Amino acid sequence: MRKIDEVYRAALKLQEVNPLGVSAMEVAKMIKLDRSNVSRYLNTLYKDNKLMKIDGRPVLYKPISFQSLNEDIKEYNLNSLDKLAGAKQSLSVPIEKAKAAIIYPPKGLHSLILGSTGVGKSLFAEQMYEYAKEINILSPDSPFIRFNCADYADNPNLLTSQIFGVKKGAYTGADRDKEGLLKQANKGILFLDEVHRLSPQGQEMLFTYIDKGFYRPLGETENLTYVDVRIIAATTENPSSYLLQTFSRRIPMVISLPDLSERTLSERYSLVETFVKEESHRIGKSIYINKNSIISFLLYNCSNNIGQLKSDIQLACAKAFLNYKANDQKYLVINQRDLPNHVRKGMLHIKEYRKEIDELLNSAEDILKYSKDDEPFLQLVHEEEIIGEDFYSIIEEKIDSLKVLGMEDNDINEILNLDIESHFEKYIGEISKRFRKDEIQNIVDNQILDITEEILMLGKTNLNRDFDEKIYFGLALHLERSIERIKKGDKIYNPKLNFIRINYEDEFLFAMKIAKLIDNRFSIEIPVDEIGYLSMFFTKESSQVQKEKIPQIGIIVAMHGRSTASSMAEVVNDLIGIEYIVPIDMPLSMKPESIYNIVKEKVKDIDKGYGVILMVDMGSLTNFGAMISEETGINIGTIDMVSTLSVLEVARKAMMNYEINEIIHSIYSGPSIHNMKVDKKGKKNIILTACYTGDGSAKIIGNIINKRIQNKNIEVKYINIVDERNLKDRISEIKEDYNIWAIVSMIDCNIESIPFISALELFNKDGENILDKIIQYGEICDKISDSMEENLININGKKVLDHTRNIIIRAEKELKLEIPCEVKIGLTLHICSLIDNLVSRGNSKKFPELVDFMNNNMEDINIVRKLFKDIEEEYKVKLRDDDIAFIVKSLKGNQILCNTVQ
Amino acid sequence: MYSILLVCSGGMSTSLLVTKMEKAAEEQGIEVKVKAIAETDLQNNLDGVQAVLLGPQVRYMLTKIKAATEPKGIPVDVISSVDYGMMKGENVLKQAISMIESK
Repeated sequence: MRKIDEVYRAALKLQEVNPLGVSAMEVAKMIKLDRSNVSRYLNTLYKDNKLMKIDGRPVLYKPISFQSLNEDIKEYNLNSLDKLAGAKQSLSVPIEKAKAAIIYPPKGLHSLILGSTGVGKSLFAEQMYEYAKEINILSPDSPFIRFNCADYADNPNLLTSQIFGVKKGAYTGADRDKEGLLKQANKGILFLDEVHRLSPQGQEMLFTYIDKGFYRPLGETENLTYVDVRIIAATTENPSSYLLQTFSRRIPMVISLPDLSERTLSERYSLVETFVKEESHRIGKSIYINKNSIISFLLYNCSNNIGQLKSDIQLACAKAFLNYKANDQKYLVINQRDLPNHVRKGMLHIKEYRKEIDELLNSAEDILKYSKDDEPFLQLVHEEEIIGEDFYSIIEEKIDSLKVLGMEDNDINEILNLDIESHFEKYIGEISKRFRKDEIQNIVDNQILDITEEILMLGKTNLNRDFDEKIYFGLALHLERSIERIKKGDKIYNPKLNFIRINYEDEFLFAMKIAKLIDNRFSIEIPVDEIGYLSMFFTKESSQVQKEKIPQIGIIVAMHGRSTASSMAEVVNDLIGIEYIVPIDMPLSMKPESIYNIVKEKVKDIDKGYGVILMVDMGSLTNFGAMISEETGINIGTIDMVSTLSVLEVARKAMMNYEINEIIHSIYSGPSIHNMKVDKKGKKNIILTACYTGDGSAKIIGNIINKRIQNKNIEVKYINIVDERNLKDRISEIKEDYNIWAIVSMIDCNIESIPFISALELFNKDGENILDKIIQYGEICDKISDSMEENLININGKKVLDHTRNIIIRAEKELKLEIPCEVKIGLTLHICSLIDNLVSRGNSKKFPELVDFMNNNMEDINIVRKLFKDIEEEYKVKLRDDDIAFIVKSLKGNQILCNTVQ
Repeated sequence: MYSILLVCSGGMSTSLLVTKMEKAAEEQGIEVKVKAIAETDLQNNLDGVQAVLLGPQVRYMLTKIKAATEPKGIPVDVISSVDYGMMKGENVLKQAISMIESK
């Protein structure tokens, strides 16, 4: 090799480490040549247009462009994989593995790429493919098929058939034979992204192929299909997950790509450089970027890795382009102000990285130039374009049209800035939404999730308001429930309708709009009352209130394994949108005592006086709750056999301010509640207040009630009915520990077993009267319950008393009459004895002139008969017409005629 | 020997109270005859009765029964709901006796 080539080669190699350029001294050191000679060679190379010269001290040299570098790289046997930024640094091990996987005889190895969102798994897979072609393992026209398993995750059949093909009639909707991607990828590579989304059936089929080299398309019973395909699978899943353990047993080559934060600054710098160059190439203009902006890009917290870095750079370029065009500037310059806010914050970390930054950028000018002639280094072949090629021309067109309208430059700027930002926000939003969607589709139907997403997008533009994930979540749950109700023909009543209409006019109008959308999609007709409820989701308050709500119960997830708990907590925290779940990882090597102390300290740390829920997997962990509770006096509920879903469920309930015992009950009805003594014998009496949006009106109602019940043996409890779906379950849980005398709320919760008082009635003067009566009646019932217990022979006195009381209150309401308390007591006793008597098959008296009475009171008799349905079922008895007639007679004969009901 | 009549719908709930009242009377050494009937049987059972007590749930019949018994000099009243509910035979007995005594 000629000396000059040796120098050039050395410069190229060093360039990878020092992207800004290399000095003669460095080259001289590397190839052990005299510095002045090296300097001369470098100068020659500069004159030959092979290197460019950066004046300064020392003078630096850089390859002139990547295009020429590419050519030269081929000369020096650099291949696609080695071109990746950081190939000699943090990617060196992954690249070695990838090469081995491709080369391994006879047919290479299937491989699995692990890495967080945005680390570049797709690009890596494509470079593996390019590499395989370069070294003639694959032929130049061999296919590379890319498939994202998350795209069809909601339809396992479709997903599996996409990959493996399908025989006509294999499942509903498979109306013709179809060749799968595996077949199409024959003699090439099939890249399965987000492979953890594959259904169990799909996984099984994939494993069969991996193990044996053949598969059967869906519905195919006879023929096996043989193909020669290398599988490259990719996933963001944590390697310790069950699925991945199975996968890595089957797939020998597991390649982990590092997060951006694990890569060196110089690697990050070359990434930034690559992306800016790409943009400059796309715009066809050189891009100038000031040094501080580069530093920001190097140091900001970029949690979605390279993917995010790239889109943030694109955003900055788009903004700079806008300025350049709108203000007729000479150069396209990226300044600090063009950077998204979170990127700008990168400068704040400069102190910690001062030294490294200096090493990296010291010789650089204050403004760096990226020439439009620089070819982009690497580009994803099948990249989904974030900004279409024509995004820049769209900006240009818009500027022109706004200028024609005679708008000021500043205004134009502002308008287009908004455009650009929303464009990117949409993209960023989609990443997180897709992730979230995958998770909540376990709970909510997909069609509903889709429409929820659409609604919130519309809401964003129509109401100009941001809706966070929790509203997305809440609305989806709400829609599912209400659509079901409307389909069933259940009545929806909204007492606040007029209030909403007047005070939330915009939201209401918007809700009408989306109601139409929902009507069409689900073939229903949403009643106006429901439209009122929908409106409440879009109010400013609802987005704010929900955002700030931080649950009072602490939740700890403690599990065996190095990162099992963390990854579970991470998923759930992402989903609920706040850092709430506290994970404790316990490597198996750790001693139980030290684990115990860690858990104890954490419990003490996060307890806010409302107790802590400890979610654990197994073994000694399950006993910690009781021990710590004893030692510290903190209420601890333990839930074992924890799963992501159960953590999610617990977190959601905690956020709705459920209490510990309620949560434990609902998740796990085992005996693991510690220090939570509930005296079943002396159940407390409570009045529930419930409200729709949060804890606002329920608390106000509660305060009013509290004034009425001072010195009485009653408490008020608030519940939240946002999650209507679970309301019934929740109430029956509460019933296990309390006697619920009534529910007071703005909206009828339709809980049949408990008397309901409309909050509006309560606000009237008469309302207090109604409440007083329920309390008075309840108190007497309390007094007589012991005697009932003692005197009824065949049935549980207390239970039947509860039932009966409820029937009477409801009868009073539904027959629209009012009877004195003493009559209620008499009737209560009568009904209890009647049931007792019926159970023992005793006789009862005939009602005189029954037929006449029934004919005259048909409607009331029917109402009352209906009210007894539950109790009849419970005790397996049947009330005779005479029995009902006696009761109706008592109710009607004793009504007070002077009051509101006349 | 007092003779007391208890009236309620279908005679369902008062029969229990009868036992309680009899027990209370026995403890106090009072001789008493208590009978529980349905309101429909009232007319046939008024002979020799000194007081009529109604279950609270048939309170609405008070005027009607009064019209039937007052000419015969028999006092009528509704049983206190708490006593009724708690099956306080002793208290109901007291109520009946005081009705008879104060006649």
